[in-house]
Amino acid sequence: MFRPKLLFTSLAAIALAACSPQDPQAVTSAAIAKQVILPTYSRWVEADRQLAVSALAYCQGKENLETARADFLHAQKAWAELQPLLIGPLAEGNRSWQVQFWPDKKNLVGRQVEQLVVAQPQIDAAALTKSSVVVQGLSAYEYILFDSNINLADDSQKARYCPLLTAIGERQKQLAEEILASWNSTDGMLAQMSKFPNQRYADSHEAIADVLRVQVTALDTLKKKLGTPMGRQSKGIPQPFQADAWRSESSLKSLAASLSAAQSVWAGVDNKGLRSLLPAEQKPLADKIDAAYAASLKLFNDNQRTLNELLADDAGRTQLNAIYDSLNVVHRLHEGELAKALGVQLGFNANDGD
Amino acid sequence: MMRRQALKLGGLLLSAVTLGGWSLFKQKDRSPLLLSARDDVDGNHFAVGYRLDGTRVFSTQVGQRCHDIINHPTLPIALFVARRPGTESYLINLADGQLLQTLTSLPNRHFYGHAVIHKDGEWLYTTENDTTDPGRGLLGVYRFEGERLIHSGEIPTHGVGPHQVSWMPDGETLVVANGGIRTEAESRVEMNLNAMEPSLVLMQRDGTLLSKETLSQQMNSVRHLGIASDGTILACQQFMGDAHELSELLAIKRPGQPFEPFPVAEPQLRAMGHYTASVAVHSELRLVALTAPRGNRFFVWDLDSGALRLDAPLPDCAGVGAVKDGFVVTSGQGRCRFYDCRQSDLNAKPLDLPSGLWDNHLHVM
Repeated sequence: MFRPKLLFTSLAAIALAACSPQDPQAVTSAAIAKQVILPTYSRWVEADRQLAVSALAYCQGKENLETARADFLHAQKAWAELQPLLIGPLAEGNRSWQVQFWPDKKNLVGRQVEQLVVAQPQIDAAALTKSSVVVQGLSAYEYILFDSNINLADDSQKARYCPLLTAIGERQKQLAEEILASWNSTDGMLAQMSKFPNQRYADSHEAIADVLRVQVTALDTLKKKLGTPMGRQSKGIPQPFQADAWRSESSLKSLAASLSAAQSVWAGVDNKGLRSLLPAEQKPLADKIDAAYAASLKLFNDNQRTLNELLADDAGRTQLNAIYDSLNVVHRLHEGELAKALGVQLGFNANDGD
Repeated sequence: MMRRQALKLGGLLLSAVTLGGWSLFKQKDRSPLLLSARDDVDGNHFAVGYRLDGTRVFSTQVGQRCHDIINHPTLPIALFVARRPGTESYLINLADGQLLQTLTSLPNRHFYGHAVIHKDGEWLYTTENDTTDPGRGLLGVYRFEGERLIHSGEIPTHGVGPHQVSWMPDGETLVVANGGIRTEAESRVEMNLNAMEPSLVLMQRDGTLLSKETLSQQMNSVRHLGIASDGTILACQQFMGDAHELSELLAIKRPGQPFEPFPVAEPQLRAMGHYTASVAVHSELRLVALTAPRGNRFFVWDLDSGALRLDAPLPDCAGVGAVKDGFVVTSGQGRCRFYDCRQSDLNAKPLDLPSGLWDNHLHVM
């Protein structure tokens, strides 16, 4: 009944393995952090810097609405690409809501923006930081630029929303810069995903487990972002206003950007992604996951219609079902076979606690 | 080999002279014993005991998933309590993991995951659901006859959907966290989210109500408890309201004071994802620790000043318990940690225990 402690499982042995350059999990974790995650965060910072400039230029009459909308879509895409990379500070403390508020079942975004432009007509970024998370991010920005009840061609309406639009642009830029700075700081996320043990990860396996957990959560969220407007949670009755980025009709483009980023974590740069951790005998699984990503991305790329257009007819709904099913295959492969092959236990207290 | 023989000898002594053996079992130079429910990768359920130095004492497969664990004050046995809506709790011999008794709930009753044993070692009280009146909170009363439990009666918890039950330091007064949620037999689906009735109840062992208090938010389910040696009660909550709202997920009742929110700052409240798993109090270091597995976050505050001492990432952390110099925390996903809390900077040390699959609560003795 009693087993002598196995000495080679001691902390020292694990620490030794983790420090060794041969530790494949440490190599992979560091590579994903440096070659996939960090460049994507940097692109997000650049997009938000452009957003801040764009809001100001638009409000000063130096830029037209089409350009302002294009800059928003660029920032929205950069944010969508971060979804499978929400590991560390941006995933903590509900910070992601400060960028995008979804799901928004009760149209809190619209209601709270309308309240805020009355209550604080000259709001700036500092004051916005103290406001509800609902109005701090891209969802509120999108509402102002795209909602059909707002006519920005009318100068008085434009003047009403411009202080908030400018404040959001500035706030998003600051937030993105803060997050990137914390990634690069001493003992920041980049260091914690590269050198083990540290105060976040006891060993490199914990870092890989965290990367996979974030992937699985993101893939599940993509299914929800598509399934909810399709009516999968509402007895088949479509809920187009429950989609994310529905006002700018960029839902499907956002989903495709997120999926593509997830694929880059899987494949990695120079084949240093999660796939590189699978032993040779797991090649059939690796091939299956490669094929699942390719199939799903092809369905997204082949489609030129918006979510609303697809929801409107039978052929479109069939196409959406096919996209949903393809996402589901990717998600299930990560959650099941890949997690098992990598020896990762996805948390069960969080999902099924008491 | 020496250790194995020594432990066998210990086991023999335990069965020969129970009380003497028990004090031997708990001898001071041994690493503390951690008891928990744990799964394997295939989803089978186990009742496990490990020394904090990593030595496995037992791992006994059981039929139903367990939740909290409570040890007998004088015998080397512990009850692994069924997780709601489980109907089987398991009385386990701590020396070798032998299943001594499967305690089955009465018809129209199920366990809620928590229990206490009276200091004299004769009576056990478990939180139970009356499924003929879903959510009506009961304490099942059981009496020890040797190493067996016999159902002896039940008393009301004066609330709905009771969860954790604890002793006040007098060992006579019971504290009950009534979660406020009605659920049916064999179900975890909430029936009354718009009419929840959570409460914190103090009562006597004969069922007499001493006090019943509530927090301001009706959808804030009071679930888990930590009691300091001076009688300070800590309660942690799970909020069933809208995702963007703020909720009072940690609350305190100091001796003679009302039940009120503990002063947790907004960034920490936001980080919890409206869900806490366990709370533990360190009476000597005057600290309170809290796990938030949905937020993947572990927190420690100073009990008296309310100052935040630690806000650390820890994936799927759930079980937490006070040990000599700090807290031990388990995780459903990663390695277990010991947090040394003696210095101003709290440091995490990974423990040499199996990684992941640790269930909601731990019990250290």
